[in-house]
Amino acid sequence: MKFLPLLPLLWLVSCEKPAPAPAATVPAVPTPATPEVSQAEPAPAAPAHLSVVRVNSTLQNWSITQPWEKNPPRQRRSLGAIVGDHQVITTAEMVADATLVEFEATDGTRRARAEVLSVDYEANLALLQLADAEEKTKFFAGMKPLEIAANPPLRDTLEIIQVEDNGQSLITSGQLLSADVRATFLPGQLFLTFRVKASMQSSASSFSLPVFNDGKLAGVLSSYDSKDQISDVIATPLIARFLMESRKEKYQGFPNLGVSISATEDVHFRSYLKLPDDQGGLYVSKVRKGSAADLAKIVPGDVMLSIDGKPVDRRGYYQDETYGSLPWVQLVRGNKSAGDVIRLTLWREGKATDVDVTLTRQEESTRLVPNYQFGKAPNFLIKGGMMFQELTRPLLEAYGDEWESRAPLNFLDALSNPEAYQADHDRMICLTGVIPTQATLGYEGLRNLMIKKVNGKPVRNMKELISAFQAMPISSDSHSIEFIDEDLVIYLNDEMSKMIDESLLQRGLQQLSRAE
Amino acid sequence: MKVFFVSLLMAGTALCQDPAPATAAPEAAAPSTADIYRSVVRIEVATQVPNYAAPWNAGRFSGGIGTGFLIGPNKFLTNAHVVSNGQRFLINIYGSPEKHRAKVEHIAHDCDLAILSVDDFAPFEKLPVFSISQAVPQLESQVRVIGYPIGGERLSVTRGVVSRIDFQPYSHSRADSHLIVQIDAAINPGNSGGPVLQDNKVVGVAFQGLTEADNTGYIIPTPVVNRFLKDVEDGRYDEYTDLGLAEFPLINPAMREALKLPNNGSGVLVTNVTPTGSCDGQVKPGDVLVAIDDHAIDANGSILIEGEKVNMHEIVERKFAGDQVKLRVIRGGKSEELTVTLKTLPQSRMYAIKYEEKPRYVMLAGLVFQPLDTNLFATASFRDVTVRRLYSDYVSKGLFQEFEDIVILTDMLSDELNTSLPRYTGRVVKSINGTKVSSLAQAESLLYPKTPPEHFVIELMGVERPLVLPAAKIPAANDRVRESYNIPRLSNLKAR
Repeated sequence: MKFLPLLPLLWLVSCEKPAPAPAATVPAVPTPATPEVSQAEPAPAAPAHLSVVRVNSTLQNWSITQPWEKNPPRQRRSLGAIVGDHQVITTAEMVADATLVEFEATDGTRRARAEVLSVDYEANLALLQLADAEEKTKFFAGMKPLEIAANPPLRDTLEIIQVEDNGQSLITSGQLLSADVRATFLPGQLFLTFRVKASMQSSASSFSLPVFNDGKLAGVLSSYDSKDQISDVIATPLIARFLMESRKEKYQGFPNLGVSISATEDVHFRSYLKLPDDQGGLYVSKVRKGSAADLAKIVPGDVMLSIDGKPVDRRGYYQDETYGSLPWVQLVRGNKSAGDVIRLTLWREGKATDVDVTLTRQEESTRLVPNYQFGKAPNFLIKGGMMFQELTRPLLEAYGDEWESRAPLNFLDALSNPEAYQADHDRMICLTGVIPTQATLGYEGLRNLMIKKVNGKPVRNMKELISAFQAMPISSDSHSIEFIDEDLVIYLNDEMSKMIDESLLQRGLQQLSRAE
Repeated sequence: MKVFFVSLLMAGTALCQDPAPATAAPEAAAPSTADIYRSVVRIEVATQVPNYAAPWNAGRFSGGIGTGFLIGPNKFLTNAHVVSNGQRFLINIYGSPEKHRAKVEHIAHDCDLAILSVDDFAPFEKLPVFSISQAVPQLESQVRVIGYPIGGERLSVTRGVVSRIDFQPYSHSRADSHLIVQIDAAINPGNSGGPVLQDNKVVGVAFQGLTEADNTGYIIPTPVVNRFLKDVEDGRYDEYTDLGLAEFPLINPAMREALKLPNNGSGVLVTNVTPTGSCDGQVKPGDVLVAIDDHAIDANGSILIEGEKVNMHEIVERKFAGDQVKLRVIRGGKSEELTVTLKTLPQSRMYAIKYEEKPRYVMLAGLVFQPLDTNLFATASFRDVTVRRLYSDYVSKGLFQEFEDIVILTDMLSDELNTSLPRYTGRVVKSINGTKVSSLAQAESLLYPKTPPEHFVIELMGVERPLVLPAAKIPAANDRVRESYNIPRLSNLKAR
């Protein structure tokens, strides 16, 4: 009852707010130093809307807990920039687990199905084209592909492009505040990103937007913080390199060195390493087996003094000609292709040594525990009610926000110490749960175990698990299952599990296994 | 479900009661109800709880109220959690303002029982003594709970029936499970240590309740109480013993067939034998346990005692270290009879909360090293997978044979000597100057050698970059840290 008198007031307030908007000439946040910042104005006859299309995606991922079915689909819209021979660049988020991607002309006159030419989930970029190449001239009639801008210097003005529902383009100018390596989509995947200060309005499309500099494509906006009016923009050099890589016969992605490093600010550590004081340096603490660094015989304890002649300071920064202090990874991941050679100057055994490293890229699928599996249905096997799955990061994340402390310890161990398992496993096969059936009587409590052998055969991956179940010894009428770290062998009656599998299919499970 | 203790935590408030006139206790027969109340005493405890986050500090001073009762000449039975970490103990006779100084004679944290004695027993000499029943109270039979719970200053009596007899965790140590009797009489904070009576005989000791359920009070039943009293007869409490086995139920028919067992619902599979435990060297993983002391074990691991299905470990529960237990196992299709001599495994207390102990630690230039135990684990929620794995495998994989202590870098108190070190707290110390670390005392001797090296190089598990400190600058850093953080001593290697 007490709340009632407040309501008309609230309504008044909310009514007043939109009033200044139609005028649209007043800067939302007047900043005396940079008056051109944050100014939203209707575009004149500028060709911005002629160089962008809407990208409409339907995304649908697989259920982690019931891997035979898919989760409910979601819709996303973004604005893509037309580049090259009428290809469209947008964020990888837009096509991750997409079941349908469409282009839509900004004036709403035409739509057409699109397909992914190349996608890099780590760099968060995707290049799309029309599914039906013959439609190209018709669909893109009157549209003008963008050139890629030269790397804009800090404090330069960038224009963020939005398109309103009525087809009118909306350009917001903002200042390029800083450049740093950041993760814009997947955690831990650091790539060169601009921070741009601009006050945007939310518009029909989500915040995956083209960013222009001087009428050319300078970046792709991946997120906008309306509170601080700061947006993260995937930087120009990365866009240029992604397009370059995409034009190669096979998209390879961005390489890495395969080392873990530690700063050398600590003077006592430096004196222990006998590092000269006029040097910077990054301590190599770990070298991934089979990585570029490993092949170049870099070992833990080496100290990286410079990369391609650029000195690396004690905290791992080098001086970039355009963007100032940037983390060393930019010299490897952002500026190079797989197969390129970089020259490292290392401090080793008390003196500087040059080592040439041929950069490689570790395919995510070669990891023991992959960080992501977009567009790929999860592998699994249901046998007599026992559910086997491959250990992936999405599976671990299904243990909730606190998964790093709540997920089973043995799973977390495989994630953080893959070296201990890689000799015997391509993937960790886990018993994640047991559907109570007649065949799994007494096993209902079993879960979170990793599989060592089935029917006496070691199991490296899901395919081997499935074939091991098919290779039951003739002398036996049940399958044996052994677990890692447990002195326990359990048995599953073959005849009964076949019956159960049959009934599970009748109960609506689409399929009982997948190994792709 | 949350289990709560029923000792009342509060600052001791003085009781203002009229002294009741002393009545002569009748010598023979069971004492009358009114007399019995006089032997239920109020225990006031001042505690000092150690601080594992700052182990050099004295800890928190606090106190609580619980109940106890007279079970023999100068013997008051109560719960261990009532008197844990106690520094001063006072006993009140019902209705008397006088407080009698007491001390702990025996304390058993694994079964939450303790015996107190008073300095001067004279005022208690005429009080009736409770006798303890031998039997477990029957389901549905009525019991009375007497004690000093919250809600008033005077003695309280509640009534209820026995609702369940089960094998359940005892929350005081967080690591032990024993026989437990659930009753529906109200048991509230302050009731802890009070007698539960049937026909004026003790059938249990009130000790814990459930926060999420109504009318569930838990009492320590007589088998556990009597075992404790027998254990301390030699003047020392020796703790429970354990078979040191992990079992898997043999319910699945395919599993039974593969193990060539008849489908008669008997036996459990041994999946782990604790190294150096009671059964080590005799029982092996893969054995099927079918009988314990001639009681047939069913496929769920239960046996029949006195007409009640109970967990097979109940047999061992009633025995003592040095006692023997007969096991029948099926190994390789043949039945074998094994005789196992029970022993206690002190290392298995890794998972029990410790009381009456001063936290152990060693410091070097602001770096704090502590041995891993459950007190520390509960204080410093460790995220590091290596720490958590070593903790969980410590007993079952016998890691204690390799590590007397798992030494952890728990804190880095800022000092100019260590501020540029990366903060690798919450990791296990692997080695100091190349020597593997296996105990806190050894770590201390490595960190404070007679002739220090140029640098101390400390390697941590799961971290590839060593921590390096110049030895020459350590004494000055230690002085600064002691001064600024008010740390009286740089190490404490003795828990008691």
